Parts: sequence; structure tokens; C-alpha cells
Amino acid sequence: MIEFSDVRKAYPDGTVALQSLSLTAREGEITVLVGPSGCGKTTTLRMVNRMVDPSSGTIRLDGVDVSTQDPPTLRRGIGYVIQNAGLFPHRTVLDNVATVPVLLGRSRAEARSAAGELLERVGLDPRVGSRYPAQLSGGQQQRVGVARALAGDAPVLLMDEPFSAVDPVVRADLQDELLRLQSELGRTILFVTHDIDEAIRLGDMVAVLRVGGTLAQFAPPADLLAAPVDDFVAGFVGRDRGYRRLQFVGAGSLALSSFPTTGDGWLLVVDDDGRPTGWRQGDDHVALGTVHEEGESLRSALDAALSSPSGRGVAVDEDGKVIGGIEPEAVITLLHASAEPAR
Amino acid sequence: MRLFGADILPLAAEHIVLALVPVLLGLVISLPLGWWAWRSRGARRILLPLTGVLYTIPSLALFVVMPIVLGTRILDPVNVVVALTVYAVALLVRSVVDGLDEVPSEVLTAGVAMGYRPLGLLVGVQLPLAVPVLIAGVRVAAVSSFSLVAVGAIIGQGALGALFTQGFERFYTAQIVFGLVSILVLALVVDALLMLLGRLLAPWAAARAPKKQGV
Ligand SMILES: Nc1ncnc2c1ncn2[C@@H]1O[C@H](COP(=O)(O)OP(=O)(O)O)[C@@H](O)[C@H]1O
Ligand SMILES: [Mg+2]
Repeated sequence: MIEFSDVRKAYPDGTVALQSLSLTAREGEITVLVGPSGCGKTTTLRMVNRMVDPSSGTIRLDGVDVSTQDPPTLRRGIGYVIQNAGLFPHRTVLDNVATVPVLLGRSRAEARSAAGELLERVGLDPRVGSRYPAQLSGGQQQRVGVARALAGDAPVLLMDEPFSAVDPVVRADLQDELLRLQSELGRTILFVTHDIDEAIRLGDMVAVLRVGGTLAQFAPPADLLAAPVDDFVAGFVGRDRGYRRLQFVGAGSLALSSFPTTGDGWLLVVDDDGRPTGWRQGDDHVALGTVHEEGESLRSALDAALSSPSGRGVAVDEDGKVIGGIEPEAVITLLHASAEPAR
Repeated sequence: MRLFGADILPLAAEHIVLALVPVLLGLVISLPLGWWAWRSRGARRILLPLTGVLYTIPSLALFVVMPIVLGTRILDPVNVVVALTVYAVALLVRSVVDGLDEVPSEVLTAGVAMGYRPLGLLVGVQLPLAVPVLIAGVRVAAVSSFSLVAVGAIIGQGALGALFTQGFERFYTAQIVFGLVSILVLALVVDALLMLLGRLLAPWAAARAPKKQGV
């Protein structure tokens, strides 16, 4: 757990990077700091491992005031990932990953073999271990950066725009990979980005900062989309927040309609096991739209309705058997019903 | 092996020692000076112009002045060694600064964030990354040191340079040419060895061009 209490930072040249920040990043969660460039995100992150010291206020790591710790010792217990990875060009990938364990006094051989396993964990072929960073693609380097930050078994991870410099396709891969890793490892992660989509995708909690270093809103992503506190946050969250909110609302209590329906002439065709195979209107066979599977979000429910030729989506259970139809109106009704944030 | 009335091998050995000891000393002195100049803007502003000026002092003048400054005898080889060390420092402080400047800032940031202390960072990260630039500087210093040793012959401490002075006295062109060529060959061999050393110390510098493949 990372606790900021009344933290203020003014740099020697007078720039106030942070006004007064109070914030708690909970154990085992990804807490995202998001905001425009220059709003103090990097400053906030670097105060945790004492690369920057606050002008006033305290930062506690698992209850211990970091200002009482020896900085290099503190840093060896906190993973750190930066944009462009910042790998050591003169060391092989394996030795890069082994950096912190070796600093912690573990033998090189032991650290290297653990590093090899970590490479697999972050989705890299262990054979890249003997290469130098310059021989890797940007996405691969970033994965090595993540592996290096995990190598010391640090319970806390600081990530400063780690995926900002790679192209969007690779970025999406890296984000998925981080979520997968986090579900296995459950570290306490403080993640900085200027990209609100990334914040919403990754964060258990999202802190929106404004320039001048004040906290505008601190909430789970769904609440941020449902109820931004002011125009700044609403503007920052973006125009299509209504659509994006769909993915945070479960479709469990969605009212399903029954098949077959008469009247409009559309018939759903199912096989012997009850799985949908297509639509039929008169003598015409038409392909299915997307199918909503039980347990998915409202986003997939609405998409099923909108993409269906009959105007009614198909909902299936986990075996793929039809359980009902989805009327677009039912989705909208449920979305409105959930507009009041839970917390 | 005797040639032109001189024992060549001891002369060559002496030439190598007189040329390389100053480069080594120069490197040892330049590392802390260069690190200081890299760190402190004020030190850089003083040290870099100063080393530039040092390098412009004519070698002959430096050789002649040495006994006065050091209180040594005029024929003492220490004169040559100290004078050439001054040149080596003049060249290498800049190389150290340039080498340290080569280290990308995000690499330094990462090093600090991983928990390196300043000395560990210098030895483990900054100096290894400065090696290519440093070796280039050392190669220039070594080659110029080989030719400067020959100038020492004028104050009686020139190793192979003695072949020039004697050749001139005797109007013996072959001897002069032989002296010239032997110094040149020694310098080239040492230069090539230093280049190899650089490759050995910085194998990563040759590793470039990412192979095209997925994430
Ligand atoms: N070392 C420094 N000295 C002076 N001002 C700084 C320093 N580092 C950052 N700043 C200023 O503090 C503010 C916040 O910077 P930063 O934390 O890097 O923001 P962000 O990471 O959100 O872009 C900016 O105005 C920046 O110019
Ligand atoms: Mg930043």
C-alpha cells in the first residue's frame, strides 16, 4: 500500500509540480495516475522511491515513511519501468533482468537462471536472453523492462508511461500482458499515463490530475465514465464515454426476450444442440451477427443487438446454446439503471 | 639485432615504454578529472579549455621546460614521461567527458531507480558505456605519443628517435627512413591492438540492427 498525505512538491526553480496530494494506492491493485503533460505524474511516482523528495507531506510504503529509508536500499525493493525501457545497452537481456538481484547480493548464476524464467513470464522467447537490447524490437525491449522490474520480487511496481513509445497494436498486447501478469502476481502497481483509454483499461482505481498538480477525481474507471465530477474530468475522459462505460456494466440482470418471434418474419436457426447457426426470413438465409455470451459486459450485449440482421441480438450460455434475445432498448434501460455509481 | 650501429630491439622496447606509460598515467589522471568535468558545469568550463591550451604547447618547449619545473636532470627519462602524460591528459579528459555524455539519460535514470549508488553506477554502467569513445581517445593519444617520443631525441631521450638525430648528423638518409618506418609500424601495431581491446571490452557496440520479428 502506498499512501500520499498532503504531499507538495516545489522544485528549486519555483515550479510547483504538486499542490497537495492525498491518495492511497491499495495493496494488490493497479492505481493509475492520468493527466495532461506537466501535471506532476512523474514527480509523484519518483517521490515513492525517493528519486525526488517532497517539499512537505509524507509518503508511506506499507506504513513506513519512505523519508526514513536509505534511497538505494529503498529502490532495490521497488520495481521501476520507464518509457523506452532504459535497458543497459552493454548488458545482455539476461544480465539486464538480473540487475537488481545481483545488487541485492544474489549470485550471478542464480540471478541469471531466475531471469530466464522471468523472460518466459513476460512472453519472451528465452533465447533472446543472450542478445543485447539493441537487437530487440521496441515492444520486446519494453517486456524486458517489465521483467527487470519484477526480478527483485518487489511487492511494489512504479511504471512511468511504459507503453507510450510503442505502436498501438504492440501497446494493446503489452497492456493485455500486464493485466494477465497482474492477475498472477497481484503486485501493488502505480502506473502513470497521459492516455485516458489506457488508464481506464488498466486501472482498478484512476486518479485524474490537472496541471498545477491537483487531484481532480479519484475513482474506479466505471465511475469516472458514469459520473465525472467536473468539466475538466468530463473533457479529459472524452466524448464517447457513454459507449465506453458499457464495458464496465455487467449484463447479468439484462432482460432477455424469447425466441421465436413472429410478426417481423425473422426466425433464428439453431442446430440439434441448440447453437445458433443463422437467421432466416422467408426463404432467405442470413448470417448471424456477433453473439453475446453470458457473463460478458453490456458492450457485447449491445453489439450483438446492433450487429444482428433482425435487430435483435442472440444471447448464448457458455456452451453456446441460445438462452434468449437482446432488445437494444433493454440494454439502454439497464445502462441508465446503473448510472448511479456504486461508491 | 644491430642496425646502423645501434641495438634496435632495446631501443624499440624503450620507445614502447616511453610512449605507453604516459598514456596509461594520463588515463588514470583523466578519469577522475573527466568525471568531475562531466558532473559539474563549473569544472567543465575550466577544465576543457585548459586541456585545450595544454595540447597546443609545442612538445619541444615542454621537454625543455620539464627539468626546470620538476627539478630533474636534463637527461632523465622522467622528463619525457611527464611531458607526454600532460599531452595524454589534455586529450583524454575530453574523451572521458564525451564518453560519459554518450550514456543516454534514460539509462542513468533506470540505473538510479534500480538502486545503484553513484560509484556503482559509474563503474557498472557509465564507464562501460563510455568505452567506445574512450578507446578512440586512447588510440589517438597512443599514436601521437609514439611520434612525440621521437622528439625527445633532441633532449637525448628519444629511443628510436635517436635514429633520426644520428642519421641527420651523418647525413644518412637510410637510417632516418628506417627510424621513421619503425616508429610508424610500432604505432600502427599498438593502434590495432587497442582497437581489438575496444572490441573485446565493448562487444555490445557491434550489436545493432534489430532483427525483424514480432513483439
Ligand atoms: N527537475 C525539475 N526542475 C524543475 N521543474 C521540474 C523538474 N522536473 C519536473 N519539473 C516541472 O514540474 C512539473 C511536473 O513535471 P512532471 O512530474 O514531469 O509532469 P508529468 O510527468 O505529468 O508530465 C512540470 O511543470 C515540469 O516542468
Ligand atoms: Mg512524465
